[in-house]
Amino acid sequence: MALYEGLSAEKQAVVLDLGSRYTKFGFVGEYSPRCIIPSEIRCPRTNKVRRIYDYENEQDLYSLLVAFIHKLYFKHVLVSPKDRNVVIVESLLCPTFIRDTLASVLFRHYEVSSILFVPSQLVALYALGVRSALVVDIGHEEAQVIPVYEGVPVLTAWEAQQLAGRAVENRIRDNLVRAYKDFAGASGDAPMPIPGVDVASLPESVIEDIKVRACFVTTRGRGEAIADGKPPPEPPVLEYLLEGNQMLLVPGWVRESSCEVIFERDNEEASLANLILDSIRKCPIDSRVTLAENIVLVGGTAMLPGFKARLMEELKFLMKTSYENRLAFSTVKFHTPPAKENYTCWLGGAIFGSTDMIQMRAFTRESYLTKKAVPDWSNLATNILYLSKLTI
Amino acid sequence: MSYLVQEDFVRYECTCGSLSPIPKLYFCRHCLKLRCGYCVCHEVDSHYCSNCMEHLPSAEAKMKKNRCVMCFDCPNCFHTLSIRATTRAPEDGSNKGHLKHYYLSCFFCRWTTRDVGIPDQIASSGNWPLKENPHQELLSSFLEHYKVVAMRERSQKDKKPIFPRRGYSTYTEKFGLTNLIARKRAGLPSLPLPGKEVNPASIPPIKPCVATDVIDTLPASYFTDVPDLTKITTIAQRHANPMIQATVASELHPQHRHFFIKRSLRCRSCEHNVSKPEYNPASIKFKIQQAAYYHVPEIRIKTFEPLRAGKPSEIILKVTNPTSHVTSLSFSPKSEVNKGGVSDSVILDSLGAPKKTVEIPRPVVQDEPNTQVELPTEPIVLPARDDAAEYDDSGDTHNFHDDANVVVWRKGNKAAVKFRIVPDRGMKPGDRSIFSFSMEYGYVNTMPTTAEQKSPQRAEMQVNVLIAPGLIVGNLD
Amino acid sequence: MALNRDLRIATGAVVCVDSKLDGPITIGPRTVVHPKACIVAEGGPIVIGESNIFEEQCLIKHNANANTDRPRTLKIGSNNVFEVGCVISAKSVGDNNVFESNCFVGPEIEVGNGCIIGVGISLERPEKLPDNLVITGGNYNRTIAADKPPAQTLQLDFLTKVLPNYHHLRKPKDRPNVL
Repeated sequence: MALYEGLSAEKQAVVLDLGSRYTKFGFVGEYSPRCIIPSEIRCPRTNKVRRIYDYENEQDLYSLLVAFIHKLYFKHVLVSPKDRNVVIVESLLCPTFIRDTLASVLFRHYEVSSILFVPSQLVALYALGVRSALVVDIGHEEAQVIPVYEGVPVLTAWEAQQLAGRAVENRIRDNLVRAYKDFAGASGDAPMPIPGVDVASLPESVIEDIKVRACFVTTRGRGEAIADGKPPPEPPVLEYLLEGNQMLLVPGWVRESSCEVIFERDNEEASLANLILDSIRKCPIDSRVTLAENIVLVGGTAMLPGFKARLMEELKFLMKTSYENRLAFSTVKFHTPPAKENYTCWLGGAIFGSTDMIQMRAFTRESYLTKKAVPDWSNLATNILYLSKLTI
Repeated sequence: MSYLVQEDFVRYECTCGSLSPIPKLYFCRHCLKLRCGYCVCHEVDSHYCSNCMEHLPSAEAKMKKNRCVMCFDCPNCFHTLSIRATTRAPEDGSNKGHLKHYYLSCFFCRWTTRDVGIPDQIASSGNWPLKENPHQELLSSFLEHYKVVAMRERSQKDKKPIFPRRGYSTYTEKFGLTNLIARKRAGLPSLPLPGKEVNPASIPPIKPCVATDVIDTLPASYFTDVPDLTKITTIAQRHANPMIQATVASELHPQHRHFFIKRSLRCRSCEHNVSKPEYNPASIKFKIQQAAYYHVPEIRIKTFEPLRAGKPSEIILKVTNPTSHVTSLSFSPKSEVNKGGVSDSVILDSLGAPKKTVEIPRPVVQDEPNTQVELPTEPIVLPARDDAAEYDDSGDTHNFHDDANVVVWRKGNKAAVKFRIVPDRGMKPGDRSIFSFSMEYGYVNTMPTTAEQKSPQRAEMQVNVLIAPGLIVGNLD
Repeated sequence: MALNRDLRIATGAVVCVDSKLDGPITIGPRTVVHPKACIVAEGGPIVIGESNIFEEQCLIKHNANANTDRPRTLKIGSNNVFEVGCVISAKSVGDNNVFESNCFVGPEIEVGNGCIIGVGISLERPEKLPDNLVITGGNYNRTIAADKPPAQTLQLDFLTKVLPNYHHLRKPKDRPNVL
């Protein structure tokens, strides 16, 4: 660290990974973010907690971001944003609108000197030191699969589904409601104590806590049995205390089967394992073996207990059954990044941002103010402008 | 300060368009404009520990990763840990007397360092073990590697002659990732190109991670045991230490306490400070504090008749002149309606380049006036603030020719002014009545703006005020 | 103040006259009862062990209720601390517990040993608290401590010395109680 600061007289840049549920924020050249905090802010006017991604319109998103970034800088990393470089780790599939607003907030309101947008799927490889990998990002909102071959994202092969943390949370809530209906039904003859809990309106924090502390991803065999309606011996029921006076009964099947939503293949063949194999199949045949043997799982949902083992089982099963002879590879391998899954992309950005790339590639405030737009690969006009500037 | 606890009944429109009560506003004496927390530039002024009040210079705070050297936070409940001492007989049986041992303990949730097996320390300051990143070496090698790769790329790019560009661009070029560069970045030897020397020896080698198909299966205990929630950490506890993210309570590790900061605020257009705290964290004073409260006449609601839709009612506002100069207030309808959009501009002066204006989007204001107001036509003169006069019971000696129907009361630099308001007819009981007007006041600027003019300058100021006295209690009848 | 005939105070206990003690109560040695502490034995006798501290405004209730399996005698173990303003109507209380300020423990609760009920915690649901349980914070975080909380020996010594200087004490009475 000291060496880095000696080499560069510039202010140490910050790295921002704005997730839909949690935001990772820290300095370049460090190996873990300074903070992982919920992407939400308490509205000063209504005193309600609002998620950044629950914005109403552009103006609303702008003011939410202003408040949230203020908190990041002045409460967590404790540096002035002005005249400091920012590395933004964003998904390749991030909406342009969010990207533009974020740039506007940073350049106009916080007067940062430059922004370097880096695609999260690409920089995740920098944390591993590999050159090709299939990056599977299972965050809160979406599971995204993008292959990166020899340092180049294969954009035609992307796959995404809403099979991530939020889907699991919704399933937990649905299952709990069902379980409580069953309790009510059963209490007719048996003196089953019905705890008076309004399950349908439990706060999200409770559901998230149940997900994190009590749920797990079961094995394929048991998962299949549950799907077939022949449930194996149920794991024990958990007594979850809500404050002092209420107890929520979380039956074993709720804890076991709620994560199944990610692996269910019922109608559209759109489980996470399908997404991964489909994505590889879209890639050129000579790259498939490399990709299949370099799968990187990132994102917080991948940290659920049993997740990796189950995904591996699912992939092996599909390769033997519905995808047989259609894949041109026979083994799949997972990487273990030298970091926790939920900040692997951030770490990649922190490594990437500590190199000379900021000076070479960053989009400066001056050019933002003259162009009044953020260059983007999907926008041809800015693309040409941006490139012509590069060549001159 | 009743302002701290009560609702914001009287709000002023800042130059940027947001509405704030007067204690939350600043007044830049150089540009003579109102500023609020939204439209000033926040800067980190000094770092301090909120527990021991130790303060460090910024550079040193940066070295310590913004964490206090002495204090620790409880990894269980985030409260500050305290050092506790116990005396224990020496373990080897020697009779050197009792040794003092120290451990950290949380007085709130009773977590102690003994819970997680951190050995007691002999010194009270304690050389508490800190966890290092287990992948430190590997990641450092990656960092060095990519730095050299990027440096080479940069030097090559500087040398590279300009090639004619083709008329289209590919996605990969957005990030400058042509195949060639990507190969190099990934640590591959470049494909041999004519006329280019590649010297792979200078790039520090890395050991890339190796993927595996052996994944630990879920322990069988998940299917048979009830999870013990007292032993599994919550997500907040995990995220408090991103590097470790302990999932079981026995792996929690105390972290040094995170610093707090004092902020200074700077006007964006003239770059003067509007607020600058004193360096010492124990001091609550400011070196500079240009609060609007000291410069702009303050308006408070004294009393008002019950509000009914469509029916006029009287409201008495108390106006106070906080400055030491006589001022005169006049009221007029609100000058313009702020509907968001872009209006404020900031001068950006960068190295002799022509001055550019940067537009800052205005904050959205959702409150629209729904009550008509009848304003006094004559200006109201307010004398200068005189602290001694507060205690002077001899009665008011000044001679103002006030209209008794408008100015109902007067004392020192304060006056009570009567307004008539009529809530719109369509309003229902329970609706919040809001009216607004523009207030013009004379301001004497004692700050020399340029070198030539030393004498105080008079200026006519204007500010929009939005007042929400209360709820409609009933209809006309 | 009406004379409480059923009160039995062991030698060495410090019980201030200003405390309110109703019904058959037995107080063990070295226990300190502050002025304005309140112990009400309506439903049956309360037997208090050694070295407990009952701080000001704390309320220990033992109500009669025929519908529950509540024992006739409320037993409070030793080395417990009842802090200012706590309200305890538990079925039984073991040893070495700390009831912090303004906590509430309902009638259907059995408190084990070494438990800490944090500030403002309110427990009403029938349960048996396991040993060394710590409940703290706004969302009722529960942890199991490795050790029981340390005994308040110094505080007891101090109070035993200081309280008699400023308050009248009830005389120890070792005559047999009407249990």
